[in-house]
Amino acid sequence: MPEATPKRTIIGFVCERSLPLDRMLDAHKALQDDPDTRIVIVPCSGMVKPTQMELALANGADATFVCGCAIGDCHYRTGNLMIRERLEGKRNPKLRKTTDRRKVGMFFLTMKDKLPFLEALAAFRASLEQPAPTEAGEI
Amino acid sequence: MYRKFLRLTKSLTVSFEKSLNLLTTQEHNPLYFHGALPLYVFWFLIFSGIMLWMYYIPTLDRAWSSVNYISALPTPGHPISEGGGIPYGAVVRGVHRWGAAAMMIVTLLHMFRVYFTDRHRSWRWLPWVSGVALLVFVLFIGLSGYLLVWDARAYYMVVATQHFLDAVPGLGAALAAFLVGGEGITDYTLTRFLFFHVGAACFLFWLVWMHFIRLKEPVVTPSRATNFLVLGFILLAAGTLPAINITHELLAKYGNDPRIAAQAAYVASDAPAQIGVLVDTIRYDAWYMFPYWLIQNLGVTWAWLILGGSTVLLCVAPFYPKDRRANIAEVIEAKCTGCTFCSLDCPFEAITMQDRAPGSKFKQIAVVQSARCSECGICVGACPFQAIELPELHSKTIEGDLLALLKKGA
Repeated sequence: MPEATPKRTIIGFVCERSLPLDRMLDAHKALQDDPDTRIVIVPCSGMVKPTQMELALANGADATFVCGCAIGDCHYRTGNLMIRERLEGKRNPKLRKTTDRRKVGMFFLTMKDKLPFLEALAAFRASLEQPAPTEAGEI
Repeated sequence: MYRKFLRLTKSLTVSFEKSLNLLTTQEHNPLYFHGALPLYVFWFLIFSGIMLWMYYIPTLDRAWSSVNYISALPTPGHPISEGGGIPYGAVVRGVHRWGAAAMMIVTLLHMFRVYFTDRHRSWRWLPWVSGVALLVFVLFIGLSGYLLVWDARAYYMVVATQHFLDAVPGLGAALAAFLVGGEGITDYTLTRFLFFHVGAACFLFWLVWMHFIRLKEPVVTPSRATNFLVLGFILLAAGTLPAINITHELLAKYGNDPRIAAQAAYVASDAPAQIGVLVDTIRYDAWYMFPYWLIQNLGVTWAWLILGGSTVLLCVAPFYPKDRRANIAEVIEAKCTGCTFCSLDCPFEAITMQDRAPGSKFKQIAVVQSARCSECGICVGACPFQAIELPELHSKTIEGDLLALLKKGA
C-alpha cells in the first residue's frame, strides 16, 4: 500500500492586488484548490515582516510563502522588491539565520495568474517532500 | 462607475502585459520600464541636438540653408549626393527627428500605462501633474524644433500660432508679439525660437526632478534588451529615412524615387520660408502637429477649448474619485528607535526622520507626512520594533489571523 502523502499546512501572505483572491478562497481563507494552504491577505507584499513568516513556522505551519505583484509592476512601486530583498537577506529586517530557507517561498504574479500560481504552489509543496540534503554542519 | 472603468482598464492592461511577456519575457517587457523610456530617449535628443546645434545658424537668411548644409550629403547609396554638407548629417538629423517621435510615443505610453493601472491618483498627484507639465513641454519643444528649420511649414506655424495667441482676451496682441520678439519677424525671432527649443529642453530637467521628488529610487534605466530595441528602432528609422530638406526642384528631379517620396511624406522639411507667402496647407506629422490641425480645421476657439480643456482635465484627474484614506501609517512614539528602516523603504518619500528632544532615549523619530502616505504598509514590514502601524490593519491583527488559521487546521 503506498504511503499517504503527509498533510502539510502552508501559510501564504498574499498581496490583495496580485492574485484574484476573491475567486480563490473558501469561507475559512483556505485555497479552494488546496485547502491545506491558508491565506493571510495584506495590502502589499512589502508589508509582510520576516518575523511573521517565522511566527507561522514556529506555530505549526510546515511552510510559508509570500506572493506579491509581478516584479516591475508593484502597485506601490517597490513592495515586492522589498520583501524579496528581505527574504534573500539583502535588506533589513531579514530572516533569522536559523530559519530553514527551504520552507520559505516567494512568488510574484499578476491578478491573471491563478493557474501559474497553483502550479508554482504545487511545485513548492512537492519540494517540501524532497529529502533534506546531508550538508555538513546542518542544524 | 468611474472606479469600475479604472478597474476594467487595469484588468485589460495586465492581460495585455501578460501576453507581451510571452514575446519579451517579464524581465525585458518595456511596459515594466515605461517611466524610464522617455528619459532614455531624451538622451538621444540631447546628443543629436548638440551635434545639430554646432552647425545651426539662427538667422532668417541662414537658418534653412544651415540645416540643409547639415543634411545635404546623405548616407551612401542615397540618390541625392550634391551640395556638400556634413557626412551622415542627415542621419544625425534623422535621429533627432525620429527620436522626437519616439519621445512622444514613449511619453504617451507611460501616461496611459499609469492612468490605466490607476496609479495617478491621490498621494501620487505631484508625479502626475508634473508629468502633465512634462507632456506639455515635450509638445512645446517638438513644435519649436519644427520652427528652427525655417521652411514654408515653419512660417505657416508661426502665423497660425500668432493667430492662436491673438485670441487670448486682453493679452493676445502682446503674446503674439512676444512669440516673434517684436512686431515683425526678424533675426531675433529665430534666436528666440532657438532659446524656446533649447531652454525648454533644459527646463525639462527641473520638471523631471519634480516628477521624481516623491518617488524613492525611480526607475531611470530600461532593461538592456529594451535599450537596444529602442536604439535599433531609432537608428533604423534614421538610417532608412534620414531627415532632409526637400525643395520643389529636388522633388522634380528625384520625385520618382520611392525613398525620396517616403521622406517627403514623413520626415522632410519644405522649401525655405518666404515671409508674406503662406502655403495653403501643411503636412502634419503624427505626434506633434495636431494643435495646428485643430486650428486649421476647427478654428482657434475650438483649438483653445480642446487643448486647454484636455490639459485641465489631465491636471484634475488625480483628485477624483477620492479615497477614504483611513489607514495612514502611524508611528508609535514610545517604540520608535529612529533606526530609519521605514524611511529608507517608503516608496513615496512619506517618512522623514526628525530629531527628538534633547535628553530623549533615542536620537531620532520617524514622522509620517500623511498627504504622501499610500497606506501600503511597506514601512510596517520594514520596522523591526513594531513602531509603525496601519490603524486598520495592525501587525498584531495579522499575527492573530495567522495563528487562528493555523488553529483551524490543527
